[in-house]
Amino acid sequence: MSRLPLEGIRVADFSWIINGPQVAQWLATMGAEVIKIESQVYIDIGRINPSGMADRIAGPNRSGYYHALNYGKKAITLNLATDKGRALADEIIRKSDLVLECFPTPAANKLGITYERVRAVKPDIVMVSVSLLGKTGLEPASWVGWGPMACCFVGMFDAQGYPGGPPRQTGGTWPDYAIASAVTFHILAALRHRNRTGEGQWIDASMGETVIGQMPEWYMDYAINGRDRRQRGNRDDRMAPHNTYPCAGEDKWIAIAVGSQSEWEALCRAMGNPAWTRDAKFADQYSRWRNSEELDSHLARWTRGHEHIALASELQRAGVAAGAVLDSVEIDADPHLWEWGFFRKINHREVGERILPNMPVRMSNVAELNYSMPPDLGQHNHEIFGGLLGLSDAEIANLMEQKVIY
Amino acid sequence: MAGKALDDLIVVEFAQMVSGPMCGKMFADMGAEVIKIEPPGAGDEMRAHPPFPGDIPHPERSGAFLYLNTSKKSLTLDPATPTGAEVFRALVARADVLIENHPPGYLDSIGLGFDALKVLNPRLILTSITPFGQIGPYRDWKGSDLIEFAMSLTGYNTPTMVDDAERENPLRAPGRQAEMMGATAAAAASMFAIFHREATGVGQWIDVPCWQAIASTSKIEMAAYTYVGLPFSRTRGNVAVGLEPLPCKDGYIYTLWAADSHYVALKKLLHNPPALEREIFDKLAGRQANDDVLRPAIREELLKYDTEYLVSEGQRLGLTIGPVFTVAQAAQHPHLRARNAFVEIDHPIAGRFEYPRSLVQMTATPPTPRRAPTLGEHNAEILGRLGYSLEEQQAMRAAGVI
Repeated sequence: MSRLPLEGIRVADFSWIINGPQVAQWLATMGAEVIKIESQVYIDIGRINPSGMADRIAGPNRSGYYHALNYGKKAITLNLATDKGRALADEIIRKSDLVLECFPTPAANKLGITYERVRAVKPDIVMVSVSLLGKTGLEPASWVGWGPMACCFVGMFDAQGYPGGPPRQTGGTWPDYAIASAVTFHILAALRHRNRTGEGQWIDASMGETVIGQMPEWYMDYAINGRDRRQRGNRDDRMAPHNTYPCAGEDKWIAIAVGSQSEWEALCRAMGNPAWTRDAKFADQYSRWRNSEELDSHLARWTRGHEHIALASELQRAGVAAGAVLDSVEIDADPHLWEWGFFRKINHREVGERILPNMPVRMSNVAELNYSMPPDLGQHNHEIFGGLLGLSDAEIANLMEQKVIY
Repeated sequence: MAGKALDDLIVVEFAQMVSGPMCGKMFADMGAEVIKIEPPGAGDEMRAHPPFPGDIPHPERSGAFLYLNTSKKSLTLDPATPTGAEVFRALVARADVLIENHPPGYLDSIGLGFDALKVLNPRLILTSITPFGQIGPYRDWKGSDLIEFAMSLTGYNTPTMVDDAERENPLRAPGRQAEMMGATAAAAASMFAIFHREATGVGQWIDVPCWQAIASTSKIEMAAYTYVGLPFSRTRGNVAVGLEPLPCKDGYIYTLWAADSHYVALKKLLHNPPALEREIFDKLAGRQANDDVLRPAIREELLKYDTEYLVSEGQRLGLTIGPVFTVAQAAQHPHLRARNAFVEIDHPIAGRFEYPRSLVQMTATPPTPRRAPTLGEHNAEILGRLGYSLEEQQAMRAAGVI
């Protein structure tokens, strides 16, 4: 097996649910030893969320939500509400390069997972706190929340609506993943800085600020012109057509984006050059952009007669940027994603054969990332408490009985 | 020193618009020397995109360009010409990372593909950001942020909680989030390759597709299908426990009432109105089954209170609740001000205004954005360093190479 990029880096991972685990998943798949510190006292919600349970049979090792976010890691159970639990956590921190947590500020303080305390245990540690709106600042620093709430705070959902309508929500828990990639890049810079200088640091990551940094058109328009841009629907600043259009069937759509005159002509040819396309209103890009509503209604009448996935292929063959809006069933079967290596079949001893998405990068010198099976609750207790910390089997059994390793 | 964690790295950015430039910006703000190659003449296409001061287009005044290109150096160069290719090879020979976002096969077609470049510089990391990736049946498809976003499950599910699937067509997220996800994944992957190179001595080629990057943001929704067998639906009724902006007296708030403890806190926040004090609402299953009665009742009660009360008191009561602001409201918010989430940057042509400071905050080596370059601002500096005389530079300019 080829060498993985982060071999030799150890992570004490106190994170749970989505954003922290996604950071740790980047690190684990790239070869870091990620020790996920869980406890039955505050079990990762991903393990118990009923809407992820394989075949709707409950069990802490059966959740697709957990599996999708935690492959490649080692899992231990440690009760941080006990003094002994905290002392053992300190032992792990002392042997780690990175500490990761994503608790709300009051909970992190209560559990003692703060930079101040962690740095006292290991002075050159790189610590990452991922939170809603950052862990310093005013009252919102102590709020409890999750990805979509960060989008609400920074204007993303206000801008997500249909023009003139109420605020709407972007799908999934998108900002959790956005902050994870951004944090991962900065963790690696911080580890490199530590390797070069011996200096550790704290990364105080706010989902709100990551989202702000990813919508520059809105924030720069406000800074430059004092304008609140609000909703734009699918309207682009220059392109038209640029929208999603209904196709044959129920709730089936195709996205079409036309950026140049030659693409427009290709689209017209694909439609069989209907008379309306020769209207002066649609003659050049600026005219199409100005008359985009009328343009969209013409186009929708044409797309409605076509099957969305076949039409996307047909338009792409003609040289038009187009893509079918894929639902869960369709994306799971997509031939390109399978051939590229986006999905992987696993065979898990409790839930059997399932499909999980891989990380979205391919590297020419790393044949296969670390896609080891998502760990069962406490699966690596003996390996970590015995192997890494040197506790005897009797001591481990005793700590289990005292509900410290729990 | 501040912002200098990557000050020993040289990055060449042969990219336009959003995905490649955002990736380059992340390196540049952390101290790497990022040399941005722009087409001679008009430069990066982003220079033509709004917002502009007073809405008057000007290649040095695009707010989006200025943000996406902080801390970089600009070199105008056409690598498709023989002299341009020679300069490009000289740059790449001493670079750590080359970021590019051209269609797959383009670099090869001008003799500058990975196989050619790694001969010049075995330590080179080539980071290619594309819509669909370097292999697979859609490799040569035309992409665009709208297309990649729409094709992801996140795109199918935006906006959420649709009432009328016929009228409410899928929307892309504000901005260019598929390209942004490609950019940040590419930045992370490039750094992984730097670590890999430190151990092995050799660089590599990284393939980051924006579609796969944005599709990853619906990982758990994809898992729900293969684990539970439930196709994810974008229509209301699936997750009936809140989870949408709800109007109050002076704006909107966002909350959920999934856990029973949330529901108890919500009732308390609303002073236990009779309409919510019904046994059928006590358990999650009952709240979901009776969402058509419960939700209107909650909506009516929320209208009696303002955002400030609902959020501050709700958080105190243990409710997960937050305000829904517009961008202008957020930009002025004292919390973001207290965290210095914005930084004022002066630019000789565009002027002085506030930029979002960084994607994350760091204590020892914070990302530190400095102003974006004007088109070709660093031509003389970079070409001079590579050993080109003033006469040679003059000749390149005359031939349209730079």
